[in-house]
Amino acid sequence: MELEPMIEVKDLHFAYKKHKVLKGIDFSLFRGEVVSLLGPNGCGKSTLIRLILKLLDGEDKIRIAGRSLRTYSHKEIAAHIAYIPQYHHVPFGYSVLEMVVMGRVSKLGFFASPSKKDYEIASAALRRVGIAELENRPFGQLSGGQKQLVLLARAIAQEVNVFIMDEPVNGLDYGNQIRLLELIDSLAKEGYTFLKTTHYPDHALLVSSRVVVMDGGKIIADGAPDEVIHSDMIKRVYGINAEIITHDLHKRCVPVFR
Amino acid sequence: MVGKERRYILAGIVILGFLALFSLLWGQYPISLEVFRAYMNNLIFSTPVDASYNLELIHNIITEIRLPRILLAILIGAALATSGAVFQAMFVNPLVSPGILGVLAGASFGAACGMLVSENWLVVQVMAFVFGFIAVGFAVLVGSMVTNSRSTVMLVLGGVISGSLFTSLLSVVKYVADPYSTLPAIVYWLMGSLSMAQLDEVLLVAVPILMSIAGMVFMSKYFDLLSLGDEEAKALGVNVGLIRIIAIVLATLASSLAVVMAGIIGWIGLIIPHIIRMAIGPSHKLLVPLSAIVGGAFLLAADAVSRLALSVEIPIGILTSLIGIPIFIIVLKNARAAWN
Repeated sequence: MELEPMIEVKDLHFAYKKHKVLKGIDFSLFRGEVVSLLGPNGCGKSTLIRLILKLLDGEDKIRIAGRSLRTYSHKEIAAHIAYIPQYHHVPFGYSVLEMVVMGRVSKLGFFASPSKKDYEIASAALRRVGIAELENRPFGQLSGGQKQLVLLARAIAQEVNVFIMDEPVNGLDYGNQIRLLELIDSLAKEGYTFLKTTHYPDHALLVSSRVVVMDGGKIIADGAPDEVIHSDMIKRVYGINAEIITHDLHKRCVPVFR
Repeated sequence: MVGKERRYILAGIVILGFLALFSLLWGQYPISLEVFRAYMNNLIFSTPVDASYNLELIHNIITEIRLPRILLAILIGAALATSGAVFQAMFVNPLVSPGILGVLAGASFGAACGMLVSENWLVVQVMAFVFGFIAVGFAVLVGSMVTNSRSTVMLVLGGVISGSLFTSLLSVVKYVADPYSTLPAIVYWLMGSLSMAQLDEVLLVAVPILMSIAGMVFMSKYFDLLSLGDEEAKALGVNVGLIRIIAIVLATLASSLAVVMAGIIGWIGLIIPHIIRMAIGPSHKLLVPLSAIVGGAFLLAADAVSRLALSVEIPIGILTSLIGIPIFIIVLKNARAAWN
């Protein structure tokens, strides 16, 4: 099957001042994939994501839907890709519905306000992630897990296929981590494409069609989750011991003390 | 949601209308509703009226004194409150306002310089805008020099420094101004007054003020997004740089023109958006247009108090500070709830 990648990165280098962060990245994301980007802190995962979203300057080496990123405005990128940041503090007390409706901005004209239809799409997105009852609550008063779901609903309301998530489970309690991964899994089955960074090899095994491992500004492994994630890789990238075990035909990554 | 917004705005306009009518009729020479109706009928339909109504006097009071003053109060209140709401969104900072960012000080220095060098009102307006803009730029520069994060404290300190700088420069202008003509003009104008309003001047300044308010209202959906931070707003498809520069120019223009017309009228830009945020919510789609309406109504009401309460007219700038400071203390007390 001949497919054009949604996102294509070729020989991408990037440095903050003199500090080299990315040293020649080649990476593609195809429609329908769930790619987990794995690697230790400072390996360049977040930088790669920010470059793809044109939040940093490196457009030459990146193509989205076959076109150079240089030719894209942020509005055009938002018509292809939704970004789900880590949940965070918001200075004004917007309601949950207002937060989700903000995902509609790239669909609106310069002077247009969100219409009734936009609010309906936002409500539907909240129902999809299972928090319709929180619609009128202030965003700031929600728990971390609920906030992350609101940001995911905002991405759904953006009506695009590709979701980029920056460490989605970060700061969530154990139950909410697994519930969020289940939700990502079910959205992926509906046809959404995911690129998510993660700190957890085990989560990458749970929810991914492909795993990309970065270390020291380079991609050191790229392939099927159970091929990429093995004891040697964990030892090399994180410097710890872990075993891959099989439970119910599913591979799991379990750290062990020595 | 959409219907709710319309209802609030409509309610605001109705209240503003009643306040305006009250201000038009009440004063040293009260005009009864009956006389006013006869006057309007005569004006619009040329309906003949009883000569005892003394229409000519009423016509003069309304068009020469009260109407320009009412229009100016609404315009300036709306300009300051809207600019305050927009500055707060731009700098993701509920503590800033045209006053705190140094815009008012910068604009008054510019306007005073303009008065010093030229009789031409347009020169005064342009100078006020230019220095208002320089003052915000300076505040932001100082605020970001120490740390490049968007720190609330640093930005407010930057504004304090910028405000002090231009207040000092203003003192220099006052010092060199002619003590018999220019100096008293500058001093009285700075205290803030709506009483000098002339209908033609008001209509002239109404055009740029209303245009910048309308621009800010139409852009208001972007302010919600900008308050999430630049990166998130960009990722959601907003041209952050363009929106920010347009918004700051419009807010500075509106508040500088307010300074030119009525001197420094403080606190409105800070408290009105806060009150609306507490009462109705922080969404800028409603906050910005309501700030315009409530700001206009607030200054109109304050002006009515300054005209009617005492036999001596208190400069409006002093009055808004006296009313604004206690309100702001209450606001600060409840601030956490309103911002989060």
